[in-house]
Amino acid sequence: MESLLCFGLALLTAPLFPGFILKVKAFFAGRKGPPLLIKYYTLGKLFRKGSVYSTTTTFVFKLGPVVTCAGAILLLLFFPLGSRSTVIAFQGDVILLFYILAAGRFFTIAAALDTGSPFEGMGAAREALFGTLAEAAIFIILILFYRMNGSLSFAEFFAGVQPISLTGAAGALVPLVIAALFMVLLTENSRVPVDDPATHLELTMIHEVMVLDHSGPDLALIHLGSYYKLLFFASWIALLICPLDPARGLFNLPFFYGTVALVYVAIGVVESIMARLRMNLVPQFILTSCTLMFFAAILTMGYLQ
Amino acid sequence: MHLLLLSLLIIAAGGIVPVLLLRFFPLAKCSAAILTTLGCLIGLYSILTATHFPFSISWEWLHCCALTFTFDSLSRIFLVPIFLISPLAAWYGVGYFSQPEKSLRVAVNYFFFALLIVAMVLLPAADNMLSFALTWETISLASYFLVMYDYHKESTRNAGYLYFLFTQSGALFIFAAFGVIFSFTGNLDFAGTATLPEGVKLVVFSLAFVGFASKAGVFPLHFWLPHAHPAAPSHISAIMSGVMIKMGIYGILRLYFLLAPSSLAIGQAVLVFGMLSGVLGILYALSKNDLKRLLAYCSVENIGIILIGVGMGMIGIALADPVVTIFAMTGALLHVLNHALFKPLLFLGAGAVLQQCGNGRIDQLGGLMKRMPTTGKTFLLGSAAISGLPPLNGFISEFLIYFAAFHALGHSHTIFILAMLAILSLVVIGGLASFCFTKVVGMVFLGEARTPEATAAGPVSLPMTIPMTILAGCCLLIGIFPTTCINFVHLGLADYLFFDASVTAQLTSVGNNLAIGCRLFLLLLALLLCIRRLFYHNKTVTQGPTWGCGFTGGTPRIQYTGTSYVRTVVSIFRPFVLLKESKIRLQAIFPSRTTYCNHVSDIAEEVSNRGLALPLLWVLGKLRWIQHGNIQLYIGYILLTILAVLLTLLI
Repeated sequence: MESLLCFGLALLTAPLFPGFILKVKAFFAGRKGPPLLIKYYTLGKLFRKGSVYSTTTTFVFKLGPVVTCAGAILLLLFFPLGSRSTVIAFQGDVILLFYILAAGRFFTIAAALDTGSPFEGMGAAREALFGTLAEAAIFIILILFYRMNGSLSFAEFFAGVQPISLTGAAGALVPLVIAALFMVLLTENSRVPVDDPATHLELTMIHEVMVLDHSGPDLALIHLGSYYKLLFFASWIALLICPLDPARGLFNLPFFYGTVALVYVAIGVVESIMARLRMNLVPQFILTSCTLMFFAAILTMGYLQ
Repeated sequence: MHLLLLSLLIIAAGGIVPVLLLRFFPLAKCSAAILTTLGCLIGLYSILTATHFPFSISWEWLHCCALTFTFDSLSRIFLVPIFLISPLAAWYGVGYFSQPEKSLRVAVNYFFFALLIVAMVLLPAADNMLSFALTWETISLASYFLVMYDYHKESTRNAGYLYFLFTQSGALFIFAAFGVIFSFTGNLDFAGTATLPEGVKLVVFSLAFVGFASKAGVFPLHFWLPHAHPAAPSHISAIMSGVMIKMGIYGILRLYFLLAPSSLAIGQAVLVFGMLSGVLGILYALSKNDLKRLLAYCSVENIGIILIGVGMGMIGIALADPVVTIFAMTGALLHVLNHALFKPLLFLGAGAVLQQCGNGRIDQLGGLMKRMPTTGKTFLLGSAAISGLPPLNGFISEFLIYFAAFHALGHSHTIFILAMLAILSLVVIGGLASFCFTKVVGMVFLGEARTPEATAAGPVSLPMTIPMTILAGCCLLIGIFPTTCINFVHLGLADYLFFDASVTAQLTSVGNNLAIGCRLFLLLLALLLCIRRLFYHNKTVTQGPTWGCGFTGGTPRIQYTGTSYVRTVVSIFRPFVLLKESKIRLQAIFPSRTTYCNHVSDIAEEVSNRGLALPLLWVLGKLRWIQHGNIQLYIGYILLTILAVLLTLLI
């Protein structure tokens, strides 16, 4: 019950947090910025609209947004979002979840290629490459977590007998994980310095250019999916920083959402003070996070026997 | 048991009847397909219902040698894909061979097709060296003739020659391994193999591994595949890639269980070969521009995944870790079955594209989803399955191997590093496979047609689309009902491994969990599709051209091509892929026409060309003078040889 409640709460609040990023960026630029609820307004507007479809496209184009969004929702079902239980969990669910994320990417790319636009092809090629590298980084994190925790499930990682966190056992490795995970977050969710969601030139985009042709409710589903995905990665980092206390019960929620908001603020700060990387430097950026995690995993050979 | 023999007889009849009915072309094709289907259905029924395993058949041959065939649990797993794919390929052939003037060639093709099936059914049951060698050679020769269907083309003859070289030299290695066994046990049975000294076991396994690996297409012995598959008719490629190369895997497994070595090294070596084949196979697949060549390299990748599972399982056996053993071996066997579903599906789809467009160059196709919808949809599903995406079958087998590899992380240092590398290779393989198959689907089936040939394409005939639909359905079914399939495949190990009850229970629970996960995903998808439909209710939906970012003069030629799509990733992996680029870029104020041309060569092929083939040719060139055409001297050679033999016998 508690887990369903938290799941519902996450579904509802996910579009709120990107507003924080915009506020932080506005603060750095000395502007007032859009209202916090801006993303809700955008979603409402998009859901009310109709769509324009390219004559080139087929059903694959319409399938892309649905698969991405369904995958992102499924992610949240398996994640302890502020409660000590998840809606559903089993040994090995992490592998399933990241493969479902990959399925979302597969169909987003296919939808982009379905338009026959050279720009979208370019974006698709970049997304496919960076996605593969980010996936490798994520799986090294999973290897490390398996060494630390002996399980393959988000529920066990964060709400099990021996939760992984800064203060837990082998907590010295966790800062490395947080750094690597933050880099993966920036990559997977197309944020600066990998991708700039606010750029105006199609040639420099990655994710935004892939969805150029989507409009109306289709675009709304894509946005919704990306909010859920961002919330998932942010909560992953948040739980590493601020573990769930079994004694607090539902009072974990304010702590949890507070930390999540902090992660979003951090994203906003990074976006404000950094320029985006040149496209050929992005693989190195992601591989840095892989290397960090590889280093951490090798370290476990010494003292986690 | 008698049913199985009956099915073999019917399949063999399916090869002979078309040769007799040569003049009635459609009848010849259909009779072959009907008889093959009938035979395979009976065969499938007999192995699925057979209760007492193992059972054997045996008869005397040439009054001195016994041919023994024993069907056990492991051979049963390898028989399923044979009986499943063969009839579909036979029916596909009915639609694919459409020129009556080639009726002799088609009938001969069906003859060797039937021979190949019969030999493939018997091989997993071969119980002594003689029957093994006989069926193995029959498979090699029958498939050689199948590849040579278009023998008037030089490229086909070259490909066939390369295949022949590989398969025969591979067989030599296997026979050498048998020779070593024979010298110790003194008889042709496999029975005494487990009693060999440990060092000899290693020698036997390495010798036979070379032979089996060359058949299976393990890196670096894989490069006959990308030549033979584009040359062969598409349903023959489907059979060869989906079923025949698995005989190499069967050989490795069978020999390993026969030898029962205690050394960890064999498992580690197999694992390393698996990782190499997997990663390099998909990298080369990514860089290829020919549809069937790409699929051939992708087979190398899948053999790599299977070997990762097999290697993990062997390590598990050596470490006496039941979880690693059972999960990895079951995963590998399930992947054998899965690959036998989606790879034929993709090859059949590629064949349909070839038939309609006349060529398989990815950069010259496009927009086929609208022109051949059934082929397009099934190909999309097969692509998602081969990329290991849930809720399809490829994911289930990869999951089991992942699970075993993660479990192996708990062991000592070397195993930990190997398990970590195995997981990483699986991830890289998965990512690059998605990359590769979005390229294929995106460039071939989506977008706009790039050439007039692609514009002129139309749907293919029913005998070709129905097999594809059935295969696509199977891929989805295994994804939705994984538990049944996992348990069925798991039983394949019953005769060889000890089953721990708790591990079996764990396997079933993992299967059930995966079923829940996959069904939940499908349910969410359906739910979102309904919601989407609700939102589009009574809305204005308009059609227009693709947004060209302000540019309105676009033609289909400005679309992204497959080459440009993969260029960055290929150049990242440059040390492993030999990428040659020649380009003329924009220069000066009035630039001339720009060109770009690239070629990726296979590192194994290049090395064996320069290091083995060319020196060998040079040495043999020096011996040309022996072959001069003078008959008298040839007779002199014979006399000299006989003399030499007699002398050595006397001395």
